[in-house]
Amino acid sequence: MAEKAQSIASARRPFKKKSLASRIYEYRFIYILGLPGILILIIFRYLPMWGLLMAFQNYNPHLGIMNSPWVGLQHFQRLFSDPKFYNMLKNTLVINGLSLLTFPAPIILALLLHEVINLKYRKFVQTVVYLPHFISWAIVVSLTFFLLSTEQGIVNKIAVSMGKQPYAYLFSEKAIYPIIIIQEVWKSAGWGSIVYLAAITGIDKQLYEAAKIDGANKFQQIMHITIPSIMPTIVVMLILKMGSMMSVDFEQVWLMNNAMVKSKLEVFEIYIYNNSIASGSTQYSYTTAIGMFKSVISTVLVVFTNWLSSRKGYEGVL
Amino acid sequence: MLTAAIAENNKKKMGMHAQTVFGQTILGIILLLVAATVILPFLYVLVVSFTDPSVYISGTVYFWPKKWSAKAYQLILSGSGFLNALKSTLFITLIGTPLNVLFNAGLGYMLSKPVPGKKFVNKAVMFTMLFGAGMVPTYMNMANLGLINSWWACILPSTCGAWTVMVMKSFFESIPKELEEAATIDGCGQLRIFAVIVLPLSMAMLATFTLFAFVSYWNTYFSAIMYLTSSAKAPLQVYVQKIVLSTTISDVVDLANELSKEVPQEIMRMAAVIVVVLPVVCVYPFLQKYFASGVMVGAVKG
Repeated sequence: MAEKAQSIASARRPFKKKSLASRIYEYRFIYILGLPGILILIIFRYLPMWGLLMAFQNYNPHLGIMNSPWVGLQHFQRLFSDPKFYNMLKNTLVINGLSLLTFPAPIILALLLHEVINLKYRKFVQTVVYLPHFISWAIVVSLTFFLLSTEQGIVNKIAVSMGKQPYAYLFSEKAIYPIIIIQEVWKSAGWGSIVYLAAITGIDKQLYEAAKIDGANKFQQIMHITIPSIMPTIVVMLILKMGSMMSVDFEQVWLMNNAMVKSKLEVFEIYIYNNSIASGSTQYSYTTAIGMFKSVISTVLVVFTNWLSSRKGYEGVL
Repeated sequence: MLTAAIAENNKKKMGMHAQTVFGQTILGIILLLVAATVILPFLYVLVVSFTDPSVYISGTVYFWPKKWSAKAYQLILSGSGFLNALKSTLFITLIGTPLNVLFNAGLGYMLSKPVPGKKFVNKAVMFTMLFGAGMVPTYMNMANLGLINSWWACILPSTCGAWTVMVMKSFFESIPKELEEAATIDGCGQLRIFAVIVLPLSMAMLATFTLFAFVSYWNTYFSAIMYLTSSAKAPLQVYVQKIVLSTTISDVVDLANELSKEVPQEIMRMAAVIVVVLPVVCVYPFLQKYFASGVMVGAVKG
């Protein structure tokens, strides 16, 4: 019996093998199309992962990764006893926590846009509010400068012309968080409304007809039909947001940084950049360890939140 | 009796109508204010950038200049700092954009076919979305590849991204198989099918991603400050940052130019912002056509 089964299996195997090879051959040109992209991902995404070994070494550029001395978890121990690390963690969480408060902004914008009857006007507003998404941080921060700078900012010019003292908003520890949160809302709320607008458009019109017959006003319709209907979208977007709790936009924070607000804006990315690449200082191993810590936590957050969303019955993001 | 009922009914209708008009007006005003937060800053910068230095008084707010002039633009556009930055940005953008679309579309197309190994590649692509090596290892890798201070360091890493590949993949999957099958029967090769059938059917999607790629390369900043060590190679975003946000603008503005003594710093700064932002604002209307399409919705999610 066993022999027979084996002979059948061995009789099948060559057939299968041939099939795989011939299938690969059949698709050879398709592979050629995909190859450049695969190579780019290998070279620029996977190859650097080799460098994560630096986090467990005292990396010395002259010795290279192969020959640098191993130190185990020493850098991670240093990390957890470094008060700077806790400051970075706090800043990252506070900035993201504050930006979470603005989460409803694109939803409200979508609800408002959807109610506009005049389609031309609606399109005009949409076109305008989507624009900031495509504007670079260098420009956004420049515009902020023209608005809030002590001497050249329009706000302070008006204040001075009214006989008040100018206020150095951009150098104020108190003002810096509100400023970067407003920048973020300005830049992303319009674009973020697209996904909610699409969800609202997909709602069955008959629901509204029925509600109108029952005497529901516009506000009641929004509260009892629109919002429950787009809840899955809201949950998915919220989960995506939670997944990025450990990340702060480097360009924005880097450009807004100055000596006066430094301690408020010191987040992981900034510290890593300043202590490895920018200064030519050689804390490669320690900064790699910080980066690795951040990456691992981010990955865990994304996987966890994605699992949560699929468990809740919403379409997972991954 | 009947007429009274009709009148009552009409009144109700009228009431409803008036209410709608009132509501729409309020709504319109709110949205106008939202739109104004975007339009006004640009308008202000545009107006000041065209103010003639002779009528400019520092510390005054300008909503409309007494005298127009383009001197700031003359100064900016003729400076070697600007021309170098423009050259750099043009190189990055013009080389990067087609490569980006081609590589993403190629990999997206491959993953839309039942090729052996598809599942593995799919997972490997998704993993890059989940986990990154971080700044220092990425920099080291770039140094090992010999790409430090090369424009290619700003171009190549972003020519293929997991999320774009996935959106393109699901788009290609939605193209009816019959079309490609018919072409195969007619003796069309796979590459020809891709070029002659698949790509033309995907024009709207490809146009969207071309514009995304264009804007993101035009806005190159982070990779420039990371990898471009010589300031002669810096792109426009770095140039605008230097001219607006740093206190020493001598290395980006040609001080030998007579105009540099005449044009106030503020006007010069605003002209630079307008010049750098202009191409994005010009390209933007072409994007608008695709805002409602499914690609964009997928786009926002990522």
